[in-house]
Amino acid sequence: MAIPPGSYTLGPTDGTLTVRTGKAGAAAKAGHNLVIEVTRWEAALEVGKGGGGSVALTADARSLAVRSGSGGMGSLGDEEKASIAQSIDDDVLKGGTIAFRSSAVDAAPGGLRVQGDLDLLGATRPVAFDLDAGDDGRLTGSIRFKQSDWGIKPFSALFGTLKVADEVEVDVDAKLPVD
Amino acid sequence: MVELDHSFSTGKPTDYNWDAILDLDRLIPCVQGGRVVERTSPTAAKAEIKVKMGAMSMTFAGTVEVVEQDDAAHRALLKVKSREVGGQGHANADVAIDLNDGGGTIHTAAQITGKAASMGEGVVVSVLDGLIKDFTQRLGQI
Repeated sequence: MAIPPGSYTLGPTDGTLTVRTGKAGAAAKAGHNLVIEVTRWEAALEVGKGGGGSVALTADARSLAVRSGSGGMGSLGDEEKASIAQSIDDDVLKGGTIAFRSSAVDAAPGGLRVQGDLDLLGATRPVAFDLDAGDDGRLTGSIRFKQSDWGIKPFSALFGTLKVADEVEVDVDAKLPVD
Repeated sequence: MVELDHSFSTGKPTDYNWDAILDLDRLIPCVQGGRVVERTSPTAAKAEIKVKMGAMSMTFAGTVEVVEQDDAAHRALLKVKSREVGGQGHANADVAIDLNDGGGTIHTAAQITGKAASMGEGVVVSVLDGLIKDFTQRLGQI
């Protein structure tokens, strides 16, 4: 459905912003595919009457929490999840900037086609994604990108034989607030 | 059985390197995650190594012993016997170190069983190779 014109502010109380990572390297079998939730983020969505509008999102790089891990050697307990979050904080994101600002927003079947610039840790690259709106006001969108395109070296362990895959997926799944 | 060969250089005299590799208190911490638990004799120690795999880790505990020592040829054979803490696996190895001017070579014959081995020989070789390369770099700094 088309998103009703208006201004919307979204955050963790309205939905989830999730990062999904895979694994790579000779010892990939030992690692886990991770589902990581960004627990502090804010998005502003403006939808114009004749289509168009803007999308902006900022996320706190120190607010990532590991929700689940699959496919690895052994299951991830709370201690391991906390340890991964600490590694993300200390070795990967280091509290840097995570911000998206649209440059063009166009009406698309079922929602919006959004193009813009994603700033990750001070490097800015263009990205594009669809925001799909459901009849119940549910808004979903997903992008995949390579960390290395933003100059981020994927986390590695076990003497470089176990790595987080370069490509990560970020999903937003939120419900438009009702006035 | 996995066999690997590595060479290393320290830029230091052979006599210095010889003393260093025979000093288990200095040698064992050169293995990432390795530590001496207790010296049991001038040529042997109880030791453990914690191998970090991201958030998960495996700890092996056992003994390291210099079983052959040729002072004239600067050649030593170390025997590592260890068992996975809290698991069924073993990690045993014969490590032959042969010093030459300013460095040396290491021949490792390792036998890994249990959870670590279940990842496949290719993985075990890659990880051991990484571990020994890291070890040789640290060896150059002692």
